[in-house]
Amino acid sequence: MFSYNLHLAIKSLKDKPSLTFLTVLAIALGLGLYTTVATMSYQGSQVPLAHKSKNIFLVQMDSREITADPVEHQARLVDTTYKDTINLMAMNLSGVKQTFNWSTYGILNVEDENITPLRTTAAVTSSNFFTMFEPPFLYGNGWDKKVEDSGEAVIVISKLMNDKLFGGENSVGKTVRINTHVLKVIGVLDTWNLTRKFYDRSYRSASPDNFFIPYTFAMENNLPRRAGFDCWAANADIARSFRNENLDRLMNSECAWVTFWAEIPDEQIENYNQQLVNYIDSQKSLGRFPRETLTFLTNLNDQLLFINGRNQFIKVFSMLATLFFAVCILNAVSILLAKFMRRTKEVSLRRALGAKKKTIIAQHVIEVMIIGIIGGVVGIVISYFGLQGMMNIQIYASDYTTRLEDIEPLFQLNLVMIGKAFATGTVCTLIASIYPIWRICNVPPASQLKAQ
Amino acid sequence: MLKMENVSKIYRTELVETHALRKVDLHIKRGEFVSVTGPSGSGKTTFLNLAGALETFEEGDYFLDGQNVKGLSDDKLSEIRNQKIGFIFQSFNLLPDLPIFDNVDVPLRYRGMSAKERKERIEHALETVGLASRMKHLPTQLSGGQQQRVAIARAIAGDPLFLLADEPTGNLDSLMAQQVMELLEDINSKGTTIIMVTHDDQLARRAHRNIQIFDGQVSDIERAVADDVVRSA
Repeated sequence: MFSYNLHLAIKSLKDKPSLTFLTVLAIALGLGLYTTVATMSYQGSQVPLAHKSKNIFLVQMDSREITADPVEHQARLVDTTYKDTINLMAMNLSGVKQTFNWSTYGILNVEDENITPLRTTAAVTSSNFFTMFEPPFLYGNGWDKKVEDSGEAVIVISKLMNDKLFGGENSVGKTVRINTHVLKVIGVLDTWNLTRKFYDRSYRSASPDNFFIPYTFAMENNLPRRAGFDCWAANADIARSFRNENLDRLMNSECAWVTFWAEIPDEQIENYNQQLVNYIDSQKSLGRFPRETLTFLTNLNDQLLFINGRNQFIKVFSMLATLFFAVCILNAVSILLAKFMRRTKEVSLRRALGAKKKTIIAQHVIEVMIIGIIGGVVGIVISYFGLQGMMNIQIYASDYTTRLEDIEPLFQLNLVMIGKAFATGTVCTLIASIYPIWRICNVPPASQLKAQ
Repeated sequence: MLKMENVSKIYRTELVETHALRKVDLHIKRGEFVSVTGPSGSGKTTFLNLAGALETFEEGDYFLDGQNVKGLSDDKLSEIRNQKIGFIFQSFNLLPDLPIFDNVDVPLRYRGMSAKERKERIEHALETVGLASRMKHLPTQLSGGQQQRVAIARAIAGDPLFLLADEPTGNLDSLMAQQVMELLEDINSKGTTIIMVTHDDQLARRAHRNIQIFDGQVSDIERAVADDVVRSA
């Protein structure tokens, strides 16, 4: 019976190609836009380091002066001061790893005179950065604690820069120059697909940094700091100078500018927080942390949840896409109803000749499933082009400052989204067909058989 | 074989109740050729719909081959229509986009027969109606008489208990009507019961028995009596 119903369904689709085309088009357009937005939303909501994101915490302590405004949300609280950073790094808790970072910048060049020097930024960080955030290495490794403590001039570079500066060959042992400083390449990263650049708290859909430099080297050589300095009033007037000057004063100031991270096993979270509180209490006796003790340990999941919750663009667009899809499905209902009701006479005859209701339903469900599957395939093709379009719009909107490879992962269909699109297309088409099928299968067998 | 006891059919709307059939008592035996006559609106079609299990009824009992069809589920009624009844309609009701072979195949498909058995039955039925050479033709490529013969082939292919024919010659000229009538008589002579609704008194007289319906009431007239009535009219 299935093969007969399939045969009838295919025949019906061919009989009225214009109605079939319109139904498929309605479903495909709605599904295409819906999948475009759903993919952007899905990719945007992907948490970096998903396998350990609940244990990667942004560490924050309220070290501000007494007159500062109350903090309504963790995201509004300042980063960490340099002296707290160094003190916290000395904290030794079993299973806990810590790192921190800020950004520097400069002119970078290599020995090869054919390579044009480039203005670039670089992440300044500690050795734990590589063990905590697990960037993949193509050649070499990150630096270890020993190298860090010695203030050695080493650098880790991205694959992109390795390709650009060294033609893609193993550049470990070669040197690059940042401003006047010569650094030895000790590691080359492979492509590192972070869905969000979280470690600098920008959460942008941009690639990670191209260069990573040990903080000891950066401090000893006073590499410029590209940061916002949240200082107490006493230092507010010279805060801007901390970018290039007054390093000693900055190191002892109450200016918060370092992003501090900890990887804490579940069983140590409470203990870690208590250590933070103890640390603040100990610092209070030195006249620091004048405000009520306030700490935040916010894991990556919660940070992304907050960031995505604030993404009004995707929210509004999702709503519009869902609405458009609903309108398309309603259109599909009308077209299917018209298509099915054209054959009341045939159904009436088939019922009279012995077709059961469930046989008529099966025949039409198969037809609708075929429409749904075709609509799903076309919808996925439309969403592919939709995503390409949205990606180009984003590049255009950023005045071409955003690189294609940085945002490409956010606009890529994957198997999950393709599967979801298929399921959504088929299920919605089936839902759309409930009323038309109910109408056609309830055509009384005797109703259309009298001579017209 | 077909027995109705006090069967009534009432069509109800919010405002009106229409008694389409009133307390019908009827018994048709296997092998009979029964004609059903009556003026327009008298209830002939309703009778045919009830007899063909196309409609349900509220009062009375209807035994078909010993089984009371009253209150049977929609699926069960479909099965009965498919296995025990052959339908012949005034307007043939062939599916215009299917070849003759496939048209005859429709009721057999819903019976779940094997392809081989269906093919044999279809070929035999089309041979019986003299259209074995037109299997691949579309209905529109045939004359009205031929189309009705295809409809008859479709009706007999499943070897039903009886045929229900609703004005089978109503859309045909007299020559074709004659051919169709002869075909039905031939089928009846081989043992298939036929119940035929007609406006044509001459055709009605060719049946073994004539049933008249007037205002929803059935009067069962034996052939001899019917002949007398026609003669005296």
